[in-house]
Amino acid sequence: MNAVNGPAIEIAGLTKSFGRSHALDGLDLTVGTGEVHGFLGPNGSGKTTTIRILLGLLRADAGTARMLGLDPWQDAVALHRRLAYVPGDVTLWPTITGGEVIDLLGRMRGGLDRTRRDELLERFDLDPRKKARTYSKGNRQKVALVAALASHAELLLLDEPTSGLDPLMEAEFQRCVERAKQDGRTVLLSSHILAEVEALCDRVSIIRLGRTVETGTLRELRHLTRTSITVETARPPAGIDGLPGVHDLVVDDHHARFDVDTAELDAVVRLLAPLGVRSLTSTPPTLEEMFLRHYGDEETRTVPAAIR
Amino acid sequence: MTGSGRLLRFMLRRERIALPVWLLGAALLVLVQSTQSQNLYETPEDLANLRRTLGGNTAVIAMSGPVRLLETIGGEVAFEILAFVSILVALMNMFLVGRHTRADEESGRAELVRSASVGRGAPLAAILGLALLANLAVAVLLFAVTAGTGLPVRGSFLFGAAVALVGLFFAALTAVAAQVFESVRAAYGAVALAIGAAFVLRAAGDAGDGTASWASPIGWAQRTFPYVDNRWWPLLIPTAVAGGLAVAAMALLARRDIGAGLVRPRPGRAHATASLRSPLALAWRLQRGALVGWTVGLFLLGAAYGSIGDSIEQYVADNPEVAEFLPGGAADLVDAFQALTMVTLALIASGYAVSAALRARSEETSGRAEPLLATATSRRAWLSSHLSVAAGGSALVLAAAGAGEGLAYGLTICDLGQLPRLVGVALAYLPAVLAIAAVAALGIGWLPRAAAVVAWTAVAYCAVIALFGDSFDLPAWVQRGSPFAHTPQAPVETLTALPIVAVAAVAAALALGGYVGLRRRDVGY
Repeated sequence: MNAVNGPAIEIAGLTKSFGRSHALDGLDLTVGTGEVHGFLGPNGSGKTTTIRILLGLLRADAGTARMLGLDPWQDAVALHRRLAYVPGDVTLWPTITGGEVIDLLGRMRGGLDRTRRDELLERFDLDPRKKARTYSKGNRQKVALVAALASHAELLLLDEPTSGLDPLMEAEFQRCVERAKQDGRTVLLSSHILAEVEALCDRVSIIRLGRTVETGTLRELRHLTRTSITVETARPPAGIDGLPGVHDLVVDDHHARFDVDTAELDAVVRLLAPLGVRSLTSTPPTLEEMFLRHYGDEETRTVPAAIR
Repeated sequence: MTGSGRLLRFMLRRERIALPVWLLGAALLVLVQSTQSQNLYETPEDLANLRRTLGGNTAVIAMSGPVRLLETIGGEVAFEILAFVSILVALMNMFLVGRHTRADEESGRAELVRSASVGRGAPLAAILGLALLANLAVAVLLFAVTAGTGLPVRGSFLFGAAVALVGLFFAALTAVAAQVFESVRAAYGAVALAIGAAFVLRAAGDAGDGTASWASPIGWAQRTFPYVDNRWWPLLIPTAVAGGLAVAAMALLARRDIGAGLVRPRPGRAHATASLRSPLALAWRLQRGALVGWTVGLFLLGAAYGSIGDSIEQYVADNPEVAEFLPGGAADLVDAFQALTMVTLALIASGYAVSAALRARSEETSGRAEPLLATATSRRAWLSSHLSVAAGGSALVLAAAGAGEGLAYGLTICDLGQLPRLVGVALAYLPAVLAIAAVAALGIGWLPRAAAVVAWTAVAYCAVIALFGDSFDLPAWVQRGSPFAHTPQAPVETLTALPIVAVAAVAAALALGGYVGLRRRDVGY
C-alpha cells in the first residue's frame, strides 16, 4: 500500500457548528499511514463529528481535511472504496440477517475476504442467521466489526467499536487490530477503554471541546505529566522543595514523597544521589491520570490527588 | 395476578392517545354511514329499489353482507358498514394486545415489569381487562352514534354489542398468537390473516348459501340481523370462543419462558443472495412487503368500485342528487363514475408513492443510512434506490387498481376488454402520482425535517382539488397547482399525451432538485 505518500489523515483547523453549538473548534489531527491512532476525548468532545466529516457525511464549516490524499466531501465514493467504518451506535435493518448485512456492506465497499469473514464470525461467536431485530447491542457491533475487518480496506475508522463487547470479545478485537496493523492498514480508533488504547495505539490524540489538546506517542505524553516519587535517604532529604517542577512534597524524617514534572526528573535524581538513597519507587503517570487531567475541569482534576 | 390492577392503570395511560383515536375512527365511520344512508333512502320505496338493484349483485353482497339486512334502513346501515367497522375494531384489538404482550417482551420492557412484585399472569390479565374495557367503549360509542342518528334503540344496542364481541374475539386470538410466536410481527401476521379469512368466509357465505358465514366472527355479528330480526343468540359464539382463547393464552403463558414462543423463528440466510449487492436491491428488500399490501388493497378497492359500475345507472335514477358529484354530470354515467373512482384510486396511490419515497428519510433519521453512505454508495444512488422503488411501485399499484376495477366491471357486463382499458386509464395518472413522490424527494433534499409534512400536505391538497375543487368554486390558479388537474379525467375526457408528458417533466425536475439539495447538506440532521 502507498505508505510513502505521506499521512493517511491530515486535518487542520477543522470547525463545525450545529446551530449555536460548536462541535469542532479548530481541530487538528494527523494520522500516519500504517499507524494505529487512538482518538480520545470525553463524550460530546467532537470525536464522532470528526469521523462523520472524514466520511463526507457532514460538511466542515472551515479548515481542511484530507484522507488518503483525497477530499472527503468531494471524493467520498472513491474514498469509501478504500476504507471501512464501524459506527459507535450500530443500527441495522430489523428483518435482514447479520450475515446478509455483512455481505451487503462488503460488496458495496468493494469486496470481502470470505475466509476471513467466516473466521471472524467464529472468533466473535456471532450467529449470522439471526435477524438483526434479535441482536443485542454487542452483537450488532460485531456485525459491523466483522464487515469492516473482513474487507480489503486500507483504512479503518472505528468509532468506539468495543463499547458493547465483553472482555473476551475485547481481547479478540485487540488481536484483530494487531493483525490489521501487521497487514499495513491504518486505524483511527476512537475509544474510552484506556487499556485498549495503551495496548494498541502507536500515537494518541486527546480532544476536548472540539479542539486537540494533546497529541503524540504515549511516551511523549507521559513526559508531559508528573511522576510520583517515594524515597528513603541516609541523610535527611533537604532542598527538594527548591527544585523546579516539584509538587505536593511531604518530608517525614528520612522519607520524602512528591510528584515531579517528568521533564525535571533528572535534576531530582542528581540531588537525591549524594544523600544516600536507601530505597526509591518511581511511578510513571497512568493513562487515567493523563485523561483526567485533560478531560476534567478544575474540580475533577483534584479528585485523583485526593485518592492518592 | 398480583399487580394486574396497577398494570391496567399504567396501560391505560400508555394508551391515552392511540386508543381514543381508534375509537373515534370507528364511531366516525358509522356516523357517516348512518347519516348518508338515511339521507339517500328516505322512503320504504327507496329501500325496495335498492333491494332490487343489489339483491342480484353478487359482488356487492360479497363486499358487504347478507341481503336480509336490507329490509329496514337500520339494516341497510349494518349491511354497508358492519363488516368494515368490525375489521377496524379487530385491528384495534390486535395492535392493542400485541403492543402490551409480545412487543413488550421483545423490547425487554416485560422483563423489567415482571421483575417487580407482579404475578406471572398479571400483564396478560391486565391487557385482557383493558381489551374488555376498550370493547365496552366500542359498544357504547356505536350505540350512541347509531341511536343518536335516529336508528331504533334495540337494534343499535345489538349493533354495538356485535361489533364489540368481534373485537373481543380478536383480542383473545391475539393474546394466544402472542404466546405462540416469538416476534410481534409474526403474531400480527397470523392475526391479520385470521381477520382476512373472517372477511372472505363471510363473503363466500353471504354470496352462497350462508354456511361459510357461520365460520366467521364477522359472520356471527352480521347474522344477529340488527334492526331486522334483532336476535342475540349468535353472540353467544364469540363470547364463548373468546373466553376459551383467553384461558388458552393463560395456560400457554404458564408453560413457556419469558421471551420464548412455541414456534421458533426460522433462521434466516447466513449469506446474502447474489442479488443483494446494491442500494436498489436493499431498498426493494425493505419495501416489497408494504408494496404487496398496497397492491392487494388497491386491487380490492378497484374491484369494489368496478362491481357497482353496472348498477350505477339504476342507482343514480333512484338517487338523482348523486349525479352532482360525477364529472361530466349524468350524460354517460358509467364513464363518469369510472372517471371519479379512478382519480380517487390514483390519489390513494399517491399516498403509497409518498410513503415509499419518505422511507429514505426514515432510513436516514434511524441511522441506517449512515453505514451505507460510508460505503462506495453515492448519495444520489442511495436516494435513487428508494425513489425507484416508489416509482415502480406506483406503476404497479395503479395498474392493480385499474385491473381490479376493469376485471370486476368486465365480469358484470361480460366484456373482459374492460380490463386493459381501465389499466390504461389508471396508468395515465402515473406522472401525476410521481410528481407527488418527487415533492417528497425535494423535501428530503432541502427541508429534511419537514419532508413528511410537505409531502403529505401535497397529497391532501391534490385530494381537496380533485374531489371538491368544483363544488368549492376554488380559483383556477389554486386548482392548476395539482398535477391531477392536468391529467385528463378518462374515460370522460380523451387522453392526450402533451399534459401527461408535461407533468412527467415537472416530476423529473422536482426529483432532480431533491438530489441537488441532498448533495449539499449534512446527512443525519
